[in-house]
Amino acid sequence: HAALSRRYVLCEVVSEDPRCRQCIEDRALGLAVRDAIARVHGDYGLACCSVSFTVKYLNAYTGTVLLRCRKDSYRLLCSVLPFVRSLESRAQRYPCFLNTLHVGGTIRSCQKFLIQYNRTQLLRLLQNCTNEEERQCIQKSLLSCSLTEEQSQSGDEEEDDGTE
Amino acid sequence: AVPGGAGRAMAAAAFERRVLRCAAEHHYLRVRLELPDGGARPNAAQFKQLVVTALRELHGEVGAALPVDVLTYEEKTLSAILRVISSGLVKLWSALTLLGFYQNRRCAFRVLQTSPFLLALSGNSRELVLD
Repeated sequence: HAALSRRYVLCEVVSEDPRCRQCIEDRALGLAVRDAIARVHGDYGLACCSVSFTVKYLNAYTGTVLLRCRKDSYRLLCSVLPFVRSLESRAQRYPCFLNTLHVGGTIRSCQKFLIQYNRTQLLRLLQNCTNEEERQCIQKSLLSCSLTEEQSQSGDEEEDDGTE
Repeated sequence: AVPGGAGRAMAAAAFERRVLRCAAEHHYLRVRLELPDGGARPNAAQFKQLVVTALRELHGEVGAALPVDVLTYEEKTLSAILRVISSGLVKLWSALTLLGFYQNRRCAFRVLQTSPFLLALSGNSRELVLD
């Protein structure tokens, strides 16, 4: 089963326009990435990358996106992500850019990385708080995160100390 | 007699073997464009534009940026000698193969000769006439 190896590319959508969040959906993102591949790598690149290409996971609040592709064409895909400059949905187009965070061989490795990354991001947000009430807000939500017992999925991320 | 070597001990010459794989940096292709309808023939600039368009369709902007040069072009026979960087030979040849239209007219590229050395394109034993 090593012949059907896939690579999972974790990236985040960054935009100055807050309305861009409503465009973060799998169809719009998939179309934007495919369109960029067709522009940059032509028909050959599009066909090469489209085999088993999907958007596996999306989080519109944090802008996190997980893409899947074949192992043979993940370099093609990664080279194209800087060329995705806007997202379009419902006849609205908003400028944005994609930050590549991690490339992994399994969804689990990407998930482990994402948990770690979100942890450090939360701490950084806390440090960069400008006023006291934002600080209180973030501290409250950090302290209220907890590990819930679920059968099929793993629990939410947990914070040991929210005071730093 | 080795000049200036009398009285000086010479070290034994070491045998050294160097193998260069794909050492040439450019590849040369002799191609001919077939335009079966007897319409206007492209000039050199339009010919180069056609080659770059073929690369852009199959390989996108990355393909269109490949350094391709048209070294010679004969408008009468529509044949040319192209030079491409060696790493881009596969992209260029596949793009030329799959090009079907020039200004909505049916066309085809025939690759007659290819070699990493330009001198090798001067003679073509396939067109040799034995009398």
